[in-house]
Amino acid sequence: MPLSRLTLLVAALVLTGCEYMGLARPSVVEQLEPPVVRLVNELPQVDRPNEALVTRIYATGGLAHARLGDDGIMRGEMWARPAQLIWTPAIIVMPEGGRLELTVHNPDMMKHAAFMPSNGGHRLLELPPRSSGRIAIELDAPGFYWFGCPVGNHAGRGMLGFIFVEGGVPPQARLDRPPQPQPPED
Amino acid sequence: MPARLRGISLVVTLLLAACMPPLERFPVSREAQPFDAANARLAGTAPPVAATVTFERLVNARSEPQNWLTYYGAYDAQRYSPLDEIDRGNVAQLRPAWIFQSGLIGLVADPSDYAFEAAPLVVDGVLYTTGPDGHVWALDARTGGMLWHYRHAIPLDVPLCCGNVNRGAAIAQGKVFVVTPNGYLVALDAATGKPVWTQVFADVRAGESASLAPLVVKDMVLTGSSGGEYGVRGHIDAFDIATGERRWRRYNVPKPGEPGSESWSGDSWQRGGGTAWITGSYDPELDLVYWGTGNPGPVFDGSVREGANLFTNSIIAFRPDDGKLVWYFQMTPHGMWDYDGVNENILFEQGGRRLLAHFDKNGHLYVLDRTNGALVLATPFARADWGEVDPRTGHVTVRRVPTPGGTEICPGPAGAKEWPHAAYSPRTGLLYVPVVEQCGTFKTADTDFGESLPYWGGDVEIVKERQWGHVKAFDPLSGREVWSWRGEHPMLGSLLATAGDLVFAGEPTGAFSAFDAHTGEKLWSFQTGSGIHSSPVAYSIDGKQYVAVHSGWGGWIKGFAPELYGAPRGDALVVFALP
Ligand SMILES: [Cu+2]
Repeated sequence: MPLSRLTLLVAALVLTGCEYMGLARPSVVEQLEPPVVRLVNELPQVDRPNEALVTRIYATGGLAHARLGDDGIMRGEMWARPAQLIWTPAIIVMPEGGRLELTVHNPDMMKHAAFMPSNGGHRLLELPPRSSGRIAIELDAPGFYWFGCPVGNHAGRGMLGFIFVEGGVPPQARLDRPPQPQPPED
Repeated sequence: MPARLRGISLVVTLLLAACMPPLERFPVSREAQPFDAANARLAGTAPPVAATVTFERLVNARSEPQNWLTYYGAYDAQRYSPLDEIDRGNVAQLRPAWIFQSGLIGLVADPSDYAFEAAPLVVDGVLYTTGPDGHVWALDARTGGMLWHYRHAIPLDVPLCCGNVNRGAAIAQGKVFVVTPNGYLVALDAATGKPVWTQVFADVRAGESASLAPLVVKDMVLTGSSGGEYGVRGHIDAFDIATGERRWRRYNVPKPGEPGSESWSGDSWQRGGGTAWITGSYDPELDLVYWGTGNPGPVFDGSVREGANLFTNSIIAFRPDDGKLVWYFQMTPHGMWDYDGVNENILFEQGGRRLLAHFDKNGHLYVLDRTNGALVLATPFARADWGEVDPRTGHVTVRRVPTPGGTEICPGPAGAKEWPHAAYSPRTGLLYVPVVEQCGTFKTADTDFGESLPYWGGDVEIVKERQWGHVKAFDPLSGREVWSWRGEHPMLGSLLATAGDLVFAGEPTGAFSAFDAHTGEKLWSFQTGSGIHSSPVAYSIDGKQYVAVHSGWGGWIKGFAPELYGAPRGDALVVFALP
């Protein structure tokens, strides 16, 4: 195999299979201002249990998009990462308001639970060690919502996550006026 | 395997390992449960008492003294209960019958400034009430037992100027109607607490929110928008009770070409404010809805919006069927002091006239002929040096305005009366008002508008050391002050007048007190444990009278009582009865 084709193959794999390459996007690079860089540089210390902190800072378990099915239901998956007291992903993005069905896995040796917002009232999914369960919630409005593990203050120690609901306000609820100046860029 | 392929597979493996650390899955063995399912004391349903609450019954609400069917108790917004078991002679024996507490679990929008501001509704032994952050409850009005609980999930990133709050529900035709902080109107089945329909009526991206108790008129439910501090365009919407379909929306700030648009310079109408965050009242015979409108935007800098800025800081009278304006009365033209005109409009009859009384944030009591909006009288009810109001015409001569260097002006931004409601007793013929005695230093500053960001055009500092409050009684025909009780802090709870010739008032200290409606003498007081910034109501079951009040300090404390910003928050509904 000629080297140029090998390079192309590796590059394609890298681009499709790995999020790292996304870091090279201009919109990401321009956010690499000193305070953000400092935060990222220090994460190896503050994000390791029993070093700078007792456990983890929130929502460092990554981000995942719920997928919208043909039946109009959004679905996703989430884990309690073993011995880390963190949700993976810790941020779940819903492309719009609606019903989200999450399969939650607990590969840990300790008990966890997911306490989640939903229209109607909070939902609670209790997960004994090494078990999986399902949680269905309804969120109709754009914005971000918190969820947590209510076992032994796991939420306070790092198992605090967020759901981002994307989308706008329906046209009939918007103000009848021309487009307005938006908040200035930082 | 050739060396080159080994190299490729190593690279791929490393990449996959770096990108997707493997985590175990197991067979799904359990389903999430509602958190409320772990409350064995939750009944789950309420008796179907609300099914027979018709428009007819709402019109005649005062003929059902055992119930509290609308936000103000009746369409006339008198906040008067014809119950008289508790009276001046026995009120000293009043004691708690039951207490309901909710707590708030986890993170909430505006975590330091949520408050319990609701006026409960009572229908034949079932009490419906609301809390901050999307909570609604149906309780057994005799015991406080929880019948059902609904919570609408509220995102954290809501533009809330003044707290995560809700002032109550409306009820009709078997449904309970509530608004959420992020501008949803939710219709719940009154028997089960399950949603029947929801409608969005506010745009959080434009800085809008919602906090008021809806108003049911005929076969419609009416809502008003909040967000006057964010340069929005205030509006009132009407929805079909059965389907949730929107019937109409009326903007309180006109577009170019519409009547009143000449009172706005340039394109300032687009960010003109005039929100409608307090529930209106209704005269079924005249078929007029009366609603107060909020301050213009930006709040303190009037230079970018020359003109009277109609229909902000006004009482508007409109037809419920289409929202069409019939008359208006503007209390504070070209406002620069945050003196919203949103306060309640009390409808009453005296001297053969159909009147409307309105205690405005600008420190003046206005009595109008409610058939046509003609002024009967205007008189100050607290310190008010921002301007002089002609007692016969209502014409304003402005005396003190915000300046870049700051001007001390009374009342302060909370007004001489915040939203907590006044009351009227047809027995004494007197109006009763909770008064905020406050001044502030008002400054102007250039503000660039950015949609969803505060649009103040300045700032205000409250003069903390010279603040106090009153409960006052006024004769509406002469404007004469009949009595006055002075409290250490601004009064920030709605008043309740009863046929026992009592006036109930919650205090920011947490005291819930009863006053002699004739003399203003304080006859009874009970410490509820947290400041009161809500609307007490009265009801009865089998002839026994109860008085209910939410105790849960919060809201815009920094604006109306900064000396109590650090005071304990709370979450209780305290219900009193005689032994
Ligand atoms: Cu846990």
